[in-house]
Amino acid sequence: MIIAFVRTIILYLLIIAGVRLMGKRQVGELEPSELVLALLIADLAAVPMQDFGIPLLSGIIPILTLLCITMIISVLTMKSVTFRALLCGRPSIIVENGTLHQKEMAKNRFTVDELMEELRMKGITDISTVKYAILETNGQISVLPYADQKPPAAKDMAITIQEAGLPLIIINDGRVLEHNLKLRGYNNSWLEKQLKAKGAKSPKEVYLLSVDEAGQIYFAPKEIQA
Amino acid sequence: MKRIGIALAILILLFSATLLHSTSIEVFSSDLTALLEAAEENAEQGDWTGAKELTQTAHKKWINRDFYLHITLRHSETDSVYMAFREVSEFIECQEGGEYSAANAKLIAGLELLAEAEQLTLKNIF
Repeated sequence: MIIAFVRTIILYLLIIAGVRLMGKRQVGELEPSELVLALLIADLAAVPMQDFGIPLLSGIIPILTLLCITMIISVLTMKSVTFRALLCGRPSIIVENGTLHQKEMAKNRFTVDELMEELRMKGITDISTVKYAILETNGQISVLPYADQKPPAAKDMAITIQEAGLPLIIINDGRVLEHNLKLRGYNNSWLEKQLKAKGAKSPKEVYLLSVDEAGQIYFAPKEIQA
Repeated sequence: MKRIGIALAILILLFSATLLHSTSIEVFSSDLTALLEAAEENAEQGDWTGAKELTQTAHKKWINRDFYLHITLRHSETDSVYMAFREVSEFIECQEGGEYSAANAKLIAGLELLAEAEQLTLKNIF
């Protein structure tokens, strides 16, 4: 059993390193080469992990090879537009000016049901209100409605809104985050005043307290456990 | 370009290492096969002591590379060669001509197949 333990640690670390090298996109949106890597790597690691009759090198060598090839492909994809188009394909416009491009949909094996589902998920029920619907290389659909169908922004309505900025957490589940407090330009006496104003005796009674760049405070006291 | 260089270097290293391994296994297998064939010739001439010495030399050579073989080849394959060596040694001890010859042929074939399976050939790839 010690063999299974050691092998699991080695292969796990190797896969973690590989996924880390692929970047954050590995978790969500996968390009074809990354998807293939994700599919293969798990299987390659699992086989020598479970079958002690297979040398560990039979798992390590293919995994290292895959990682190197993926690295080379990702660099080439970054450097060359042609290579990127060859490997990842190009985005396909499936709706243009409210008109369905049926040939493009058939080429991408994309059904009307799938399109309608994607549009509904984006809050659109009428295709004629869509200026462009683009099937991206990662399989996601970008929907761009006509300008007159877009919700108005504050700028369009000539309204000035104060920028609140990023709120920083000052108290997290009873713990004061001193670094964030200093970063916002406040000190403990300011915090004590705020707590008193909110009716809290100490930070331990606070579940969440955050302050944005405009000084707006969000306060949530801890719920009393029964 | 640094990343691509590292990736290429690792790929070349892996390729060279695997190629070296297949060559090394082939040479090793040929060496053992030659010893076992010589042992069989000795046995056919009634020199069981000479056959035993040559077989033991081959067996020792196998055992000396046991770690390397164990981490690079399927364990079932290395185990079967080990068992075949033991079988051949027993037939030499008993001086059983026919059975020794059959077991030795089986061992030689096993070693040849082991090396053949590691060679970079289309047959092996597909």
